[in-house]
Amino acid sequence: MESASNHPSQTPRLAAERPKSSASGVGSSVFSLGSVAWFHRLTIEQRVLAGFSLVFVGILIVSAISYHNTSILLTNRELDGRSHDLIQLLNNIDAAMSEAEDAHRRYLVTGEASYLEIYKKVVKQKPTFTTYLSDLIRESPEQQQRVGLLDRMMDRQLSAESKATTQFQEGGFRAVKKMAFEGAGKRELGVIHQVITEMDVHERQAVGRRVVESAAETRNTIVLLGIGALLQLVLLASVYYLIRHDITERRRVAGELQRRGELLEAANKELESFSYSVSHDLRAPLRHIDGYASLLRKSVEHSLNDKAARYLQTISDSAKQMGQLIDDLLVFSRMGRQEMLRTAVNLDQLIKSILSDLRLDLQGRAISWTIAALPEVQGDPAMLRQVFMNLIANAVKFTSTRSIATIEIGVKHPSSTEIVLFVRDNGVGFDMQYAPKLFGVFQRLHRADEFEGTGIGLANVRRIVHRHGGRTWAEGMPDKGATFYVLLPARRRD
Amino acid sequence: MTVAKPILLAEDNPRDAELALAAMEAEHISDKVVLCRDGAEVLDYLYCRGQFKSRLRGNPAVVFLDLKMPKVNGLEVLRTIKADVNLRPIPVVMLTSSREERDLADSYALGANAYVVKPVEFHKFLSAVKELGTFWGIINEPPPESCRSAQ
Repeated sequence: MESASNHPSQTPRLAAERPKSSASGVGSSVFSLGSVAWFHRLTIEQRVLAGFSLVFVGILIVSAISYHNTSILLTNRELDGRSHDLIQLLNNIDAAMSEAEDAHRRYLVTGEASYLEIYKKVVKQKPTFTTYLSDLIRESPEQQQRVGLLDRMMDRQLSAESKATTQFQEGGFRAVKKMAFEGAGKRELGVIHQVITEMDVHERQAVGRRVVESAAETRNTIVLLGIGALLQLVLLASVYYLIRHDITERRRVAGELQRRGELLEAANKELESFSYSVSHDLRAPLRHIDGYASLLRKSVEHSLNDKAARYLQTISDSAKQMGQLIDDLLVFSRMGRQEMLRTAVNLDQLIKSILSDLRLDLQGRAISWTIAALPEVQGDPAMLRQVFMNLIANAVKFTSTRSIATIEIGVKHPSSTEIVLFVRDNGVGFDMQYAPKLFGVFQRLHRADEFEGTGIGLANVRRIVHRHGGRTWAEGMPDKGATFYVLLPARRRD
Repeated sequence: MTVAKPILLAEDNPRDAELALAAMEAEHISDKVVLCRDGAEVLDYLYCRGQFKSRLRGNPAVVFLDLKMPKVNGLEVLRTIKADVNLRPIPVVMLTSSREERDLADSYALGANAYVVKPVEFHKFLSAVKELGTFWGIINEPPPESCRSAQ
């Protein structure tokens, strides 16, 4: 009693909690900027996937840019190394050309062969210088131009000096006196100095630029990595928030479900104690009505007229009828709560045993039976027995006005997953407009004085079939018989 | 000897009691019936205390127990009887309106000797009570009192 009064007050509270909590979930969301309404339409899986994809794309972008920057740094380092080599080489060339100038003049003055050797060594070195030079400056057109000039000047200096040495060997010091003092390639050497200085300056400037550039790249990379890491942190935090939020929500729902399950269980318990009270307490007064009516009849038996006797009989009959209704109702309610077995049920044997149980009711009746070979189904044997007991008993009852009754029990296989069983009779039938009422509790289509019954049988049939995952329906015509169908899921092959 | 043994009827509903007595009257065994209005009275009778302090010693031939009774219900009375070495031999018949499986199971688990559902229809009720009274009060040989003297 007490818990019954609790239910109505709890249910609305549950209902009121729902929208509030979901609204707060939206409000506290990081993404609730209004412009991302589509975001809320995504499932949690899609959101998390989107989040992780963004993180992945972010990592890709940062990696690509970092790679690019680092390769620039590496290129710059290589270029720097080349620049240093070039500067070194230029210094060497400068020194070598000065030495050649110096050595050939000394040779012209002294005729000493060792000076000529030094000179010749430089001449020999010259092609190597050229090779190295063109190798080191191949990526800079400006320097290439200068190298071209430098190369020409070196050639001219060396050839002028060679010519001078040849003249010296042919005509002696006198022939080359002027050149010996001034130097045969003095002018060219000047140009060489100048070109080398220009190249040196150019290269040093390039190195300087690259140092600045590398520093900038390094700084950019660091900043980029920082921002990238920060963004990814934010994204990951958001994804974490989403997942956490989802888990919290799921936990809440699970808790709610459990609470509702408990409420349901409590309600079921209450229903059970209710039907217990009905069975116990409601029967007692009925027994008393019938009992005292009998006692009364017995004590006034002699002075009782027919009318009074009929009144007393009606009192007794009504009490009995109500007792039957209560029993039926209890069976019906138990049918909904009872634990269900799931075993293979052989319908052929089931029908046979039902017919043997109905033997007494069939006495004095002419019934032509047509019973097809029935399949095995999966279900609760006792419950299914009640289904077919009710359907067959109905067929027998509603054909009682026929001189020869025909009852057919058959099976159809509309699909591989379903079995349809039917019980067809040539009895009084029914108007199809009342078909929806047929399976209702205490619904009767015939007057009590036509056919007896409380109207619970088909309600039980429907309840049992529903619990088996099936359906029921009926077809009929007044005075043309009726067919009751039971659809059951086919037996699982496992 | 069996004639002297009373039938103990535990029934809180006076109408049910009257109807039961009326049924037994027809078999002339109603004078042997001792009526108790609740479980506590049944225990008082069995243990000879309270209003039954000065009753004749000896166990009843049978106890007809209603399940739902004030103070101490039928199952509790049954448990007490079957837990007591001296009372255990007394046949106990559950006479109740309840057809609940749970009640049946509980009663038999506690050692009930029979379980009878009171029929709604009076003539069935009548014949049930008559038969019960006749069987347990007259036909059935009650256990000897030896257990009691062994005390």
